[in-house]
Amino acid sequence: MNLRAHLEELFEAQTAELVASEPFRALETGGAAAADYDRFVAAVVRTHLKATEYVAFLCALGAPESSESRLRNLLEELHHPGLLRQMAAGTGLGDRLPELEAQAADDIRRLVVEPVLYRTLGEVGLAAFCEVVAFEYMLARLAGRIAVFLAARRGLGPAALRWWTEHAEVDVQHAAEGLADLETYARYYGLANEDGLAIAPLTLRENVFLRRYFPDWPLPAGSAAPEAAPCVS
Amino acid sequence: MRLVSATVYALRIPFLAAVRHSLAGRRWSDAVVVRVLDSDGVEGFGEAAPRPYVTGETPADVLEHVAGVLWPAIRGLAAPDLRGPDDLGAIDAAVPDGAPLRRHHAARAAVELAVVDWALRRRRASAALLLPPLRTEVVYGGLITADSPQQASRQARWARLAGLTQVKIKVGVGEDLARVKAVRDVLPDVTLRVDANGAWTPTAAREALAGLAGYRVASVEQPLPPGSPETLARLRAESPIPLVLDESVVTPADLEAHLAAGAADAINVRVSKCGGFARAATMARRAAAAGLEIHVGSHVGETAILSAAGRHLAAGVAPTRFVEGSYGTLLLAEDVSDDGVRFGHRGVAPVLTRPGWGPRVRVDRLRRYAETVVELAA
Repeated sequence: MNLRAHLEELFEAQTAELVASEPFRALETGGAAAADYDRFVAAVVRTHLKATEYVAFLCALGAPESSESRLRNLLEELHHPGLLRQMAAGTGLGDRLPELEAQAADDIRRLVVEPVLYRTLGEVGLAAFCEVVAFEYMLARLAGRIAVFLAARRGLGPAALRWWTEHAEVDVQHAAEGLADLETYARYYGLANEDGLAIAPLTLRENVFLRRYFPDWPLPAGSAAPEAAPCVS
Repeated sequence: MRLVSATVYALRIPFLAAVRHSLAGRRWSDAVVVRVLDSDGVEGFGEAAPRPYVTGETPADVLEHVAGVLWPAIRGLAAPDLRGPDDLGAIDAAVPDGAPLRRHHAARAAVELAVVDWALRRRRASAALLLPPLRTEVVYGGLITADSPQQASRQARWARLAGLTQVKIKVGVGEDLARVKAVRDVLPDVTLRVDANGAWTPTAAREALAGLAGYRVASVEQPLPPGSPETLARLRAESPIPLVLDESVVTPADLEAHLAAGAADAINVRVSKCGGFARAATMARRAAAAGLEIHVGSHVGETAILSAAGRHLAAGVAPTRFVEGSYGTLLLAEDVSDDGVRFGHRGVAPVLTRPGWGPRVRVDRLRRYAETVVELAA
């Protein structure tokens, strides 16, 4: 299997798992409490508030032939923190923004000080690229749907939902470009091989969407890697 | 400045991938964490990794023993004055055994670690003073689970990406040679060990050892079930590969019996299995003095607390040939501390220097993953 097909399969599986998860279904069907919507919005803001920095990091590492699309992506990303703050304010979480900003900064700090598992910056970049494109892939498919339930169930208006609606409009293209750029990146750095194929599942060994959007929800034990299914405790 | 309360958390932290060996498979960590608190609000944390097939303990046993025996024995305790290696004995004396001894090793380890952590945090001193590090960093190995050769091959590629220089393969479940071959094919230059967790009979062990020799296997751990040291000694005499004992050597008496029989080339020392840090260190020193190599092992699913104690042990005993553990969030969906203890590229991790065992434990995480919480007050 080539890297792109492998990645699409992983992204698809994680997106499906998010949609099928208990907390996501509760939000979508209206079974969740108002506080659950607020927690969800706070987690989304925390997750994406520093996305520009991640994209800039990938721009610096990107392969020459994809630098134009990565830079364009970075430019589009520049106004997203503003939209996220707008979403927080529109949800009544404006007073929590300093705390969310600090948490988002601390997430990066921890990432930077944690021991690096890989041997080269190229491999670190591939892992980061996988995660960024995974979100683009998921948002391309779910952003519109999430905006609908946040409007219907939590009463958010168009301004608060703009981060979602913009993603719904442009991320189909972003995700396709992202996958292509990721493949170019892997080829350029000689990682479109077994090692590259191994980095993706290692990066996405947990459901990154559930981990980030529902951090207080303990993952069920059954979500451990399916290939190890014969295992019983 | 005396201990006024304790809280025991029986955790269930999901794994990111299931782990299987010949005795058990698990999808989550069932660690039990003990938090002690003194009248000044200073806390300390310890952890048990109960294993019915190692010490006979379940998480419920640990909860019961801590609540019913160990906490009543240490409540009101004044902080032991821990100043150096000579105080390892004082640590041992501060925490009672309970009887029968083997059955309560994990529970005792959790309480001992919590008391030491608390006593050291009071003085803002690191556990490194109890067992001064002989090295500045510890090098960990990887683990290949007892799954299909294809799965083993995939795990070996991850080990290659992480630059690991040593890997242990779980065997004793069938397809053993195929699994070892699959790993050797991916990792031609890495030191390979295997661990049967006592799955073989003497006859099966002889056959397996002969087959494994062709794959340059550095050691075979626990080839036979715990039992007769003499049977193990006979196997060792015929084995082309050095033998390591783990489940056979839980108590100091076990160690002496196997030393007397000449049953081992090395022993696997684990903090929880041995009943605490002080006893694990003492057993490691005794084995080293008898000419055995030391493998500092871990229980699958240890959180940052036991990983940190294992790090201090691995840094301070010699000759330490192999070290396992500190997988942290490579295995756990979430660890109990944000102070990462997991190893980095090539399995390298620094010696810990923060107060106590090192990691600052997050009580909110303990609460989130606790299936049972027992509050114990004076």
